[in-house]
Amino acid sequence: MDNNFSSPELPPPVRAVGQRHVLGLTSDPLPKVRIAIIGLGIRGTRALKRLPYIDNAYVTAVCDISYDNIKRSVRFLKSQQLTDTKVLQGADAWKKTCELPDIDLVYICTDWKSHTPIAVYAMQCGKHVCIEVPAASTVDECWQLVNAAECSRRHCMMLENCCYDVFELAVMNMVRQGLLGEIIHLDGAYIHDLRGRLFGSQHVDNIHWQLEYFVEHTGNPYPTHGVGPLCQLLDIHRKDQLSHLVSMSSSQVGLTGYAMQKYGSNSAEALKPYLLGDMNTTIIRTQKGKTITLQHDICNPRPYERTFSISGTQGFARKYPIPAIAIEPSAHRALTPSKTRKLIENYAHPYVLQWAEEAHKLCGNRARDYIMDARLIHCLHLGLPLDQDVYDAVEWSCLTELTEISVLSGSLPVAIPDFTRGDWNKFHGS
Amino acid sequence: MPINVNRIKKMKMKLKIATLFLIYIFSISYVNCQAKIIKTQTPPRPAGQKDVLQLRCEPIPTVRIAFIGLGMRGPGAVERMTHIPGVEIVALCDVLQKNTISANKILAKRGFPAAQEFYGDTTVWRKVTALPNVDLIYVATDWKHHAQIGVQAMKDGKHVAIEVPAAMNLKEIWDLINTSEKTRKHCMQLENCVYDFFELTTLNMVQQGLLGEIIHGEGAYIHGLQPYWDAYWNNWRMDYNRTHRGDVYPTHGLGPVCQAMNIHRGDRLQYLVAVDTKAIGNPEFIKKKTGKEVTGFRNGDHTMTMIATEKQKSILIEHNVTSPRPYSRMYQLTGTKGFANKYPVEGYALEQEMVGNDIAPNHENLTAHKFVPDSIRTRLMKKYRHPIAKDIEDLAKQVGGHGGMDFIMDYRLIYCLQKGLPLDMDVYDLAEWCCIIPLSEISLDNNSSPVQIPDFTRGLWNKLPKLEFAK
Repeated sequence: MDNNFSSPELPPPVRAVGQRHVLGLTSDPLPKVRIAIIGLGIRGTRALKRLPYIDNAYVTAVCDISYDNIKRSVRFLKSQQLTDTKVLQGADAWKKTCELPDIDLVYICTDWKSHTPIAVYAMQCGKHVCIEVPAASTVDECWQLVNAAECSRRHCMMLENCCYDVFELAVMNMVRQGLLGEIIHLDGAYIHDLRGRLFGSQHVDNIHWQLEYFVEHTGNPYPTHGVGPLCQLLDIHRKDQLSHLVSMSSSQVGLTGYAMQKYGSNSAEALKPYLLGDMNTTIIRTQKGKTITLQHDICNPRPYERTFSISGTQGFARKYPIPAIAIEPSAHRALTPSKTRKLIENYAHPYVLQWAEEAHKLCGNRARDYIMDARLIHCLHLGLPLDQDVYDAVEWSCLTELTEISVLSGSLPVAIPDFTRGDWNKFHGS
Repeated sequence: MPINVNRIKKMKMKLKIATLFLIYIFSISYVNCQAKIIKTQTPPRPAGQKDVLQLRCEPIPTVRIAFIGLGMRGPGAVERMTHIPGVEIVALCDVLQKNTISANKILAKRGFPAAQEFYGDTTVWRKVTALPNVDLIYVATDWKHHAQIGVQAMKDGKHVAIEVPAAMNLKEIWDLINTSEKTRKHCMQLENCVYDFFELTTLNMVQQGLLGEIIHGEGAYIHGLQPYWDAYWNNWRMDYNRTHRGDVYPTHGLGPVCQAMNIHRGDRLQYLVAVDTKAIGNPEFIKKKTGKEVTGFRNGDHTMTMIATEKQKSILIEHNVTSPRPYSRMYQLTGTKGFANKYPVEGYALEQEMVGNDIAPNHENLTAHKFVPDSIRTRLMKKYRHPIAKDIEDLAKQVGGHGGMDFIMDYRLIYCLQKGLPLDMDVYDLAEWCCIIPLSEISLDNNSSPVQIPDFTRGLWNKLPKLEFAK
C-alpha cells in the first residue's frame, strides 16, 4: 500500500459474535425463482414486463402503494394470462408482500428512501432481495443492509444494470484478459438532462419524491450507474478497496432556471430552495493508488453520458461520446470506428453471447436490463454467488451521503468505510 | 380562521435549516479531523505600487525581439515571427551554440538579417536581457529558468513573453507580479491553446451568451510524451516529474476555461483539491531505457485537480504524460443553455431557443440531448468565429505551429505591442494558471486537503466586468 491516508472514520459498527461476511455467498439452488415486485412505477413496470420471459423466473406477487399503478399492472398481467399473481396494494402492503411464504426474491423498485427499509425487512423474512439503484441513501442504511445480509445469509443485490451493457461487458472481458494492462484511472458519470421529466406532467409520481430529494440534498445523489462498472474493473473489495474521496459541486441554477422558464418566477416549482448543485465532480482514490472521477448533472442541456473511460498501462477505452479503444503500441490514436466495433465483437462477453439476442428482441435498447435479470435468475437457479454482492451495493450507494458531506464541508477528504470490516482482501473471486 | 401559509412556509424552512445543520455537524465526525482548508499567504502590495490590469504601454511600431531558449519551441517561434510585419529579431540565445546557429539559418532562409548570437552557459541570458536595442524578450527555456529570466528582463526594461508554465512556485509567481507592477512592463505567458480555433470560437459563443451561464469547465494535458523525452535538454522535464508531485503542466487545460469564466474579471479561483494515482508509467519507462530500478518517483501517472470559484463554478483539470491513450486537452464547458466539448470530437449541444433560423431553419427539431448535426456545427462555427481569428486564420494555418494557434498568439502579442494596447493575457492570468503547480502539490501531500488560491490581483478581481481582447 503506497498511500498514507489516515482519516479517522467513525468506527464501523462491530460485527455481532457469530456473524460472518457474505463474500462469495451461495444459497440452495431454486428450481423456480418466485418473485415479488414491490413498486410498479417506471422501473417496476419494466421489470414486470421482462421477468415473465426469463427462464425459471415467476412473478408470483406484485405490490404498490398506488391504486393506479396496481390497476395498470393487473391489466398487463391479464393480457399475458398471468392471473395467478397475487396483487397487494396500500401503504403497508410491502410488509405483507415480504411476509408471503411462497416468495424467494423480493424485487424492489420503489422510491429511493424506501429501498433499504423494505430490503432489510425482506431479508429478515428470509427472502433474497434485489434493489433498484441506489440501494441505500445513507451510510447508516448501508450498514443496515450489510448486517441484514450477514445475519440472514440472504443475497442482497443492487440492480445496477449499467454493468450489463454490451460495451461495458466487452471492456470487462478485455481487462480480465489483460488487453489494457493494469488499470490505473477511470471516469464515470450520470449526465442526463432530466428537467423535462422532473417537471413534466407525464410522471407525476416523480415530482413528489425526486425533486423533494434535491431540495434536501446535494453531492452526487445517483452515483451507481457511473461507479458500478468501474469498481468491478478495479476488483473493489476483492483485490483493492475504496479509500477516500473529495467532492465539489457547482452552484444550483439548472432546476430553478428551468422551472422559472416553464412555470414562471413565482411558481412553487421555481421558488423551491433546491440544494443540489448542478454539476458534481467527485474523485475517489483506492488503497492501491488507483483513481476514479465520478460526475453527476441532471439539469443542464447536455447529451446523455456515463463517460465510462478506462486508462490502463497498455491501452485505453471510452464509451462516450463515441466508443473508442486505443491499444499499445499505437495507443496515441484511437482505433477507427469499424475496428473498434470489430474488437468489441471479438471480446463479446459470455453473457452477451448467451442472452443479447433475446434481450434485444424483448427490450430493445434496454437489453442490459434483461441481461441483468437473466444472470440474476440464472445464479439463483443454480445456487451460484451473484455478480454483485451486498458490499458492492453499499460501496456504490454510500457515495450519495459521503459526496454530500465533502461538498458541504468545502471539499474536505472523506474516508470511505470498509463495509467488509477487514475482509476485503480475502476473497479474490470476481 | 384562515391558515397562515407564510407562517407554515417559514416554519418548514426553519426545520430544513435545522436539519441541514445537523447533517453538517454529523458530517464533521466523518471527515479527517486534521483536514481543513490550507491557507496561503498573500504578500501585501508595496506602497505606491499599482496593479497592471489593462496595462497600456507606449506603442512600439517595430518590435525588436530577443529569443532566449532555442531548443524545442524557440526555433518555431523564430520562424513564425518572420511572418509578422513590423518585427526585428535582434538576438538569439541558448546554452548550445548549435541552436543559435540553426536559428540564424531560419532567419537567413526567410531573408532576415542575422541576429547576434549568445551561447555558452546557463547565465549568458543575462547579457541578452541587458541589451539596449530590445523591446521584447521571448523566453522558451526549461521551466526552471522561466520566471528568473522574466523578472530580470522586466527589471532591464523589457516586455517579456514566457513559455508555459511561466512560473513553478508561489515565490516566482509573486516575483513576476511585483516586478510587472513595479516596472509597468508586460508579462505574458505564451499560452497558445487559448488561440486554438475551437476554443476561440467557443469563447466568442460564451461571450455572446449562447451557452448561458457557464457553471462547470474542464481542461487537461493528456499527452503520452514517450517520443519526446529524449529531446529535453539535460532531461529537465522528466527530472521535474521525478522530484515533484502535482499538476506540473496545467496551463493548456486551465487557460481557456478561465477565459470562458472571466477569471479575475468578475470571478476568481477560490480553492482547489487534488488527487493522483500512484506512479507506474514514468518509472517503467526509465527502467526500460536505463535498466535501472526507479524508486521514489514523485509524480503520479494521472493527476486531477478540482477548483472552486468565488461564484461557485467548478473546474476539473487533469494531467497525464505517460498513459497510452489518445491526446486530449478535454476542453469542455457546461452552461445553462448549451454545452461545448472538444475531445475526442468537437461538438455543441444547445437549447432549441438558442439556435436561430439562420443556423437551422428547422431548429425545432433540435434538442440539447444530442450534439447538433455536423452541418449545423459548421454553420455555428462560421457565425461565431472569433473576431481576432477572422482576418488571420488563413495565414495562421499556412504558417502553422500546432495547426495555427501559435501564430495567432504571436500575432496578437505583436499587434498589441505595436498599438500600445493591453495584451490578451496579463500577469494575473499567468499567476492563476501556474499556481496550480505548487498548490496541487500541497493538496496531494496533505491527503487531498483543499488549498486556498491567493487572489493575485490583491482585491481587484471584480474591477473589470469581463474578459475583453483589445481591438
